[in-house]
Amino acid sequence: MTIDTLPKQFVETARKYGQGKVAMRRKDLGIWHEYTWHESCLRVRHLSLGLISLGLEHGDKVCIIGDNDPEYFWAQLAIQAAGGVAVGIFTDSVPGEIQYIVQHSDAVLVFAKDQEQCDKLLEIRAQVPAVRRVIYWDEKGLWSYNDPWLMSFGDVEALGKELDRREPACFDTRLVQGCGEDLAIFCYTSGTTGHPKGAMISHSNLLEGCRIYNQVDRRLDSDEYLSFLPPAWITENILGLTVHVVNGMIINFPEAPDTVQDDLREIAPHALLFSSRLWENLVSTVQVRIADSTWINRLLYRLFMPVGYRVAGLRFESGRVPILWRLLYAIGDLAIFAPLRDKLGLTRVKSAYSAGAALSPDVVRFFRAIGVSIKNLFGSTEGQIHTLHIGNDVKFETVGIAPPGMQICIAENGEILVKGPTVFRGYYKNPEETAAKLRDGWFHTGDAGYLREDGHLIYLDRVKDLLELATGDKFSPQYIEGRLKFSPYIKDVMAIGGRQRAYVTAIINIDFANVGRWAEKQRLGYTTFVDLSQKPEVYNLILQDVVRVNQTLPSPARVHKFVLLHKEFDPDEAELTRTRKLRRGFMEDRYREMIEAMYNGQPEVNVSAEVRYRDGRTGTVETTVRVCSVDS
Amino acid sequence: MANGTADHTILQVEDLHLNFGGLAALSGISFGVKPGEILALIGPNGAGKTSVLNCISGFYRPQPGHIWFANRDLTRVPTHQIARLGVARTFQNIALYTGMTALDNLMAARHIHMRQSTLASALYFGPGHREEIVHRRIVEEIIDFLEMEPIRKRVVGTLPYGLRKRVELGRALALEPRLLLLDEPMAGMNVEEKEDMARFILDIHERRRMTILLVEHDMGLVMDIAQRVVVLDFGVKIAEGSADEIKRDPQVIKAYLGQPGSQ
Repeated sequence: MTIDTLPKQFVETARKYGQGKVAMRRKDLGIWHEYTWHESCLRVRHLSLGLISLGLEHGDKVCIIGDNDPEYFWAQLAIQAAGGVAVGIFTDSVPGEIQYIVQHSDAVLVFAKDQEQCDKLLEIRAQVPAVRRVIYWDEKGLWSYNDPWLMSFGDVEALGKELDRREPACFDTRLVQGCGEDLAIFCYTSGTTGHPKGAMISHSNLLEGCRIYNQVDRRLDSDEYLSFLPPAWITENILGLTVHVVNGMIINFPEAPDTVQDDLREIAPHALLFSSRLWENLVSTVQVRIADSTWINRLLYRLFMPVGYRVAGLRFESGRVPILWRLLYAIGDLAIFAPLRDKLGLTRVKSAYSAGAALSPDVVRFFRAIGVSIKNLFGSTEGQIHTLHIGNDVKFETVGIAPPGMQICIAENGEILVKGPTVFRGYYKNPEETAAKLRDGWFHTGDAGYLREDGHLIYLDRVKDLLELATGDKFSPQYIEGRLKFSPYIKDVMAIGGRQRAYVTAIINIDFANVGRWAEKQRLGYTTFVDLSQKPEVYNLILQDVVRVNQTLPSPARVHKFVLLHKEFDPDEAELTRTRKLRRGFMEDRYREMIEAMYNGQPEVNVSAEVRYRDGRTGTVETTVRVCSVDS
Repeated sequence: MANGTADHTILQVEDLHLNFGGLAALSGISFGVKPGEILALIGPNGAGKTSVLNCISGFYRPQPGHIWFANRDLTRVPTHQIARLGVARTFQNIALYTGMTALDNLMAARHIHMRQSTLASALYFGPGHREEIVHRRIVEEIIDFLEMEPIRKRVVGTLPYGLRKRVELGRALALEPRLLLLDEPMAGMNVEEKEDMARFILDIHERRRMTILLVEHDMGLVMDIAQRVVVLDFGVKIAEGSADEIKRDPQVIKAYLGQPGSQ
């Protein structure tokens, strides 16, 4: 039997380890309970046969909606062993969304974890007549539901045991019928417009993805993993389930979605992925906790964090750390770094990945200082892992390089294209979208970026959010703004360009508190925000940041001129949305004079802006704003 | 509506009177709670609902009046023994050990079921250890039941109000009572917290077959979860019956909404 599907690999791995090795752990009633490979395999076998008893045919689709539990993974493997396709649905979906996916995927059975999810399905029951049964695995609150449409996980397994007794060869017969080109999972991606699209992922996509991942960052069968990313998301399938099935990595399941932080500490996994947002939150949590801690902790933190920063800096710049610093770092590690890593569940981590928006360099430096190197990982549902940081080749401004087997190229419009064995098979029942996104084996990510000479990919933005210049070059205003905002002295930025403009300019909003503090240290007197923002010294301070960011940008995207706005961007004046997103159109209108001054070569511009005070009164502020040119 | 005789009730309140000086808080209250039911005690502010609960749990001694529970008159049982008889309660103003964790608060409630001597319990190994494990398991099941895993090791004083209420309910459950007295379990909660609490009360009733006497202000919720309702007004029982009967009862409407105007 060639091993070309996940369930075949699962059975093979289970035979290799049998009863002697832990496959999964789950925390229940406060205690970690273990499942050996033998037990896990038996559960999948019986469940799969149970599904066959319920009439599941090769190629049928089954939806699963639930949290990270062994049952979720067993259900997925059981569906696949019976030849079916598993369709994950996010647990926070509303009944309408569930109805769309269940209908669109033609699901014949649905796994729904608990009362909450079963209630949603009961609500849409009339709209999903094709669903024969809903199978639940957490019976809490469902005790008095006497609906034969609902069936417990255990009852399905009992059906399977019965079938196994009658036809002992049934499981294997069905198992060997599968092949690598069969579809394994559908991942519905939320489109920004219209309905979600169901990306069809085959067994070979997943197994090849794992083979590629193994080449660059191999997980051992003694490695621990905590499953906390939504299992309906492709990432949990790539980093979790598939690696578990192929390499035998131990998967641990948290007690409840809200206990992940505590469970992380107890498990201390070897590999994990957080969104960049979460990494950033962790840093602020640590800082808040330290500030609330005892004086001795605060002292140690103040004493040794600079050592951590220094040593991390040396290590990543030159690779050589003088012996004295190494000694200091060792003491710091004992005093503060190791306890911090322990609190965060990072004591054993070998691969700490970040996905999503770019991580601020401060966050990267913080974790390097306490001894954790965060690597970026860039991927998509349709193409799995596109690029990642491999080994010690970590550059925080990039999203890494393409692993062997994956090809990356940049289209003329700046779009990142991906080709490789992991690229999906198309969108289910949606040939138009498939044709638009998948051409000659190249997946069109819809993301814009560029490749550096060292092979590292820089991610900019969604293609549709790019702006064009008069020269025809495209640039990402959000990318430039994001990089500039990493500076502690810059609170908000709006980057400006457009077809009628030859270069990029920016309106910058200084961070009053930080720049004010800096000014005090420089013995620089100032009165108000307006006054401080127009000080030549402050212009020079910000200029340094702009020049530094410009060095990391391709030449057409560099900021040529900027002004420091005499006031803060204000949601009360409709300049920002309540979630602090820029309202670009409105801003361009409002600051038309200032923007034109930057393109006309004027050295300064007089502005009189209407200001609305908190109490509703309005007033006018008149001042002169200087235009600063950047020589790059 | 028959009150039922003592044979059919788990708790029988008979002609309860309570006076604070010249103020009559309760005047001749009688009702029975049947095994396995949720009975709600409702009424406007100052109607005497909490006074009834306090009489049952032994905080107040009625004069005169009898409260029959498990063939004993609770008015004659010392307060500290009432819990051992199988009556547990929660308080309107939460009364937990604020410096201890949620888990320890629940474990403390298991104290009445622990048999080992102080010395045996103080040792790590031996019978004290085994007993601790048994009780920890029971407590962990309650934590699971009330979805308190994330706050298991949190100090109660740092928890928000809605969660403290849940810890208090958990502590009452940890006593494994036969009768659960809930004093305004949903007071001061937002809609979502109220719905959660209502679901927990129904689950307790359904799964643990517990008899529940509930004092509550929120009429909508009472009507949803209680099988029978007793209405008090100025220390007098003015109605008793199913939720639907109560909703239509003219006296209840009067007590809650006032006298209709003359126009």
